[in-house]
Parts: sequence; C-alpha cells; structure tokens
Amino acid sequence: MIRKVLIANRGEIAVRICHTLREMGILSAGVFTEADKNSLHTRFADESRHIESYLDADEIVRTAAECGADAIHPGYGFLSENPVLATTCEAAGIIFIGPKPETIRSMADKLESKRIMQMAGIPIVPAWDSTPSESDFPVLVKAVGGGGGKGMRLVSTPKELNDAMASASREAAAAFGDNRVFIEKYISQPRHIEFQILGDAHGNVIHVFERECSIQRRHQKIIEETPSPVMTPELRSKMGAAAAAAAQAVNYRGAGTVEFIVDRSGNFYFLEMNTRLQVEHPVTEMTTGLDLVREQLSIASGATLQHSQSELRQTGHSIECRIYAEVPEENFRPDTGIIEVFEPPVGPGIRLDSGVGAGSVVSYHFDPLLGKLIVWADSRRAAIARMKRALEEYVLLGVRNNIEFLHRTISTADFDDGKLDTGFLERHPELFALSADVPAEAFLVVSSSDLSLAGNGRRKLVTEDSQTADRDVWSSGSWRNS
Amino acid sequence: MIARELQWQTGDQQVSVRIEESKGHGTFHISNERLPFRILDSSHIEISGRRYRFYVHRNRDAYTVWLNGRTYRLLRAGKSGSQQTLANASTGEIRAPMPGKILRVDVTVGDSVAEKQTVVVMESMKMETSLPAPIAGRVKDIRCAAGQTAEMGQLLMILE
Repeated sequence: MIRKVLIANRGEIAVRICHTLREMGILSAGVFTEADKNSLHTRFADESRHIESYLDADEIVRTAAECGADAIHPGYGFLSENPVLATTCEAAGIIFIGPKPETIRSMADKLESKRIMQMAGIPIVPAWDSTPSESDFPVLVKAVGGGGGKGMRLVSTPKELNDAMASASREAAAAFGDNRVFIEKYISQPRHIEFQILGDAHGNVIHVFERECSIQRRHQKIIEETPSPVMTPELRSKMGAAAAAAAQAVNYRGAGTVEFIVDRSGNFYFLEMNTRLQVEHPVTEMTTGLDLVREQLSIASGATLQHSQSELRQTGHSIECRIYAEVPEENFRPDTGIIEVFEPPVGPGIRLDSGVGAGSVVSYHFDPLLGKLIVWADSRRAAIARMKRALEEYVLLGVRNNIEFLHRTISTADFDDGKLDTGFLERHPELFALSADVPAEAFLVVSSSDLSLAGNGRRKLVTEDSQTADRDVWSSGSWRNS
Repeated sequence: MIARELQWQTGDQQVSVRIEESKGHGTFHISNERLPFRILDSSHIEISGRRYRFYVHRNRDAYTVWLNGRTYRLLRAGKSGSQQTLANASTGEIRAPMPGKILRVDVTVGDSVAEKQTVVVMESMKMETSLPAPIAGRVKDIRCAAGQTAEMGQLLMILE
C-alpha cells in the first residue's frame, strides 16, 4: 500500500503526477533546488524539501526516507532512466515507480538495447561503435546514455565526425552523466512513431496504441498526436506486436515506450525504449481514458494489469503541443525572464499540463519546456481546429515562446494532410519568416495602453516587467523581427 | 479628453500616431487612417466596430502587444536609449545572447579570426550555443573565461 510518494522531478511533470496522487488519496512530497524554490511544483505538492541536486540519487532517496515516503516517482529526464536511483531505492526499501534496475540499465545503453531487440527478432537501425566507411554517411552521433536530442549530432562527412563526437560527448556528460556516444545510420525523412506499453510484475504486457511524434526541432519533439495519420489497422497490429515483444524481451514492468522510425516505404525499425513516463503521454490518456500515472502506481504496488489488449479502445483524436520558452525565428534560442501575463485557453476538449503560472521565473538552469497544451476531439480535423483555437487564445507574455510558431505549423496544408516526417520544419522555412508588418490595430492598442500609464487613475491596461531594472531589452535581440 | 502624439518603432520603421480618448471612447490617427475605438475592459477593445482581445506588456521602452493571438514588438521612439545588438559588427563586440555558462573560449587575445568563426561556446538550458565572430579581425579583448556564468547581454569579447 503506497501512502506517500516523493516526486523526484520538477516543472509540469511534477505537477501532473501530484494531480493523480491527489485523486488517489496519496500524499505527495516534492523536491526543489535553490533555483526552483519559488517554482509552481515546489508549492503544489503537499510538502516540499530542499535538495542540492535533482541528479543525486543518494540525496533523493535519503530525502524520501526522511519524509516517510513509501515510493519515488522519477518523472522523465533527470534520474528516471538512471539505474542508480532504482538500485538505491531497492536498497533503502523504498518502491521505485518504474522498471527493474537491470531493465533500465540495458535499455539506457542504446547499443545494448539494440542488441537485445535484434535477438528478439525486432528490426533495428544499423549502428557502429567505430568510424563507419565514407559511403555510410550521413550518420547520426547519439549519446549511449540518453535521448531527447541531447548529445545528438547529424554528421554529413567523415571530416566533421570528430568535432561532432566531442561536442555531443560534452553535452551527453552534462545531461546524463555519461559521455559515451555512438554512431547510427541516418535514415532520411523518417516518421517517428512510438508505442506506449504497460507491463506488470506478473509477466503481462499490453500496448496502448501509437503516438506520432514526427514534428521535431533539434531532434526533439514539439507536436505529438494519436492516432498517427499514416497508421492502418494492419501496420498498427504489426508494430504493436513488435512493441509488446520488445517489452516481453526485457520482462518489462511499468509504463514504457518503444520508439520506432518508419521510412517512406512503411518499414519500421526499433530506435530505443524509454523506460519511464513520456512527455507526450497525455495524448494516449485522452484517447483511451487511462491515467498512465495511476497505472504506474497500480503496477508498482504489485497489481496485475487492469485491462487486456482486446479490451483497449481508442476514441477520437488527440494532439499535444509543447510550449517552450524559446524563439523559433532565432534558431530556437531559449529565452528567460518572468511570466507576467498567463491566460491559458479553456473550454471543451482542452487539457493544460503546465509547470508555470503568472509570476513564474523561467531561469537558464533547466530545459525550456514550460508545459503542454493538449486537445481532444472526435476526428483529426476537429482536433486541429480545436488546437488552433486554443493556441490563438493562449496568452503568455514576459518570456518569449513558441505558441505562434506552433499555430503556424499546424496551420500548414502538409500538417492538415498528415504529411509528417522528422524533416518537416526544414522543409517549411516559411514558418520562420515572420512578417514585420504591424497592423494599425496593434499600434492603437499599444498607444491606448500608454495613455493609461499617464497616471490618470484608470484601470491599468499594461503589465510592466517585474525585473525591468536588471534586464536590457536591447541586448535580448528582441527587435530583430524577421 | 486626452490627446497624445506618440512615436513607435518597429524594425527599422518609425510610425507617428495620434490618439484622442475620452471615457473609453476615442479616435486613433495613423498614416491617413482614422480609427474609432471603444475600450470595453482591460483586455477587450472595439475598433471600427470589430472586437479584439488584447494584452500589453512593457519592459522599459519595449512593448509587447498581444492582439487576437498574434504578438507584436514595438519600441517607444523619441526617447533616449542606447541601442545594442548581440554582435555589433561595427565595433566587433560579442555579447551573451542569453544568460548561461561559458563552456569554452576558443581564441586568445591577438588571434586572427574569420567572420562566423566560433569564438565562444555557451551552455544555457542544457543546450550548447556557439557564438560566431561578427566580423573578420583580431581578438582585442576577452572579458570571459570557461566556467564563468554570464548575464544576458554581457560583453564577452571585443574584436577589431
């Protein structure tokens, strides 16, 4: 019986896990570092403890023991795919909400995981641990220890390989504490399609359908959806069976994701397995009615899976947009600051998983993901219309963000037609070319707000930057509009 | 009635406007247009009979206008304010484009550099960013070192 869970994470995922714990009558304990002492997740949990680092497994397990937590939920990123946290939990008699340490270890090693899947008869992308021959280029340099695009470089020619490996290695060391990188065949313009899987401690495994995650920048997903617009019942059953077989091959326990890339001919290859909850898990929840965090807790407390494969149904269509503090038009550079206006969209079919609110400080210490906007509707077309409406209504000022960029992206004819692949953004340079035209109405609105600043005691039409004194807008490059 | 003349800058364009307002009703003059308006509440306005939702955020002279889902950036012109950019081609200044940590400085004082050559590598939000030389030239001064943190806009290097 789990009574209290320590959430070893921050931001939107820590808040999202709190929601389910609260619904289940389980207490939540949060952790925060100095930079996060005023963050939303720190205040949202039933109690919170200061820690030095989100990456120190000993400190996190000690903190869990101190506050009387029976279990630790690792979220995603940080220590979620580091077997050390799972092992340390085991030694301390605390439940780790995730797979067994040996599963994490073998799947976290991207070379080892390919070997296991190959032995299980699942198609894999070719990889090398030494320099490939010239005809094998372009290749991808990837971190052995990680994912999410960190420590990943696309290399076109052999002479760029050493630099790319050094730079990827540094980034991998900073992100995952493991500087090993390897080289993988680059498959051009593939689709990225993954399957959610659930396995219990009694050997049962099911898949919970696919997620299409092809719209990426810097090898990181920004828009995800389910069902995939290219999926047919035949392909779904083939890939779903491969995903379940992959999970069986490692006696998978908990919620996980089997990632595939699908080439233009519809061939699919195992890419990697993520042994944790995925950022984009909400689209699966929206279309199946499952709460994946609840499933994780139920599996962790030893229960058998509550659904058989044949009972699972997907209804309607769901899309997720990741809201990042970044400027797409300036090579996606991250932005920092204080969120001065935060008015998220509401209404039918809308879910917001947010790690920030009005007044939140976005610092340079962490990933720039602010939260996720998720919609559900009965068809893909209706879901796109709903997402456009939601993005149009989403007001987030004070920190520059990608909301309008996401709107432009889902408004393209190619997105509408479901013509998606990981090269989508490169093929749409027009999405980055902002018109410098400012309509007369915008001049009017800004001028009327300036009147209210004149101090005639009326309602305030303008918010002012709380940290104006120590920010120099000119140096932020905000005015290079195009 | 309040009437004011204002100057706005967007990109390299300067725009002069005149706004007249009394009790939430008014007229706005821009170029040769006259737009009647009515302020409904702190985030809704009616312009020429059409309704808009809006938010305005100000940081010194820089204004961000959110209007029906689009965001525009405007600068109050006609006020003093020093104009800096990230990499100032005329002076060869290189500034931090965002707050973060200096990972590497690839050159030393006196080195010759080519335009667009990477001179500094920073890390912010777990990502590496290479800062290129804005001009070809010689490194005159280095104001940062690996391991240090830099504020947004902080001067890192001067080329000549």
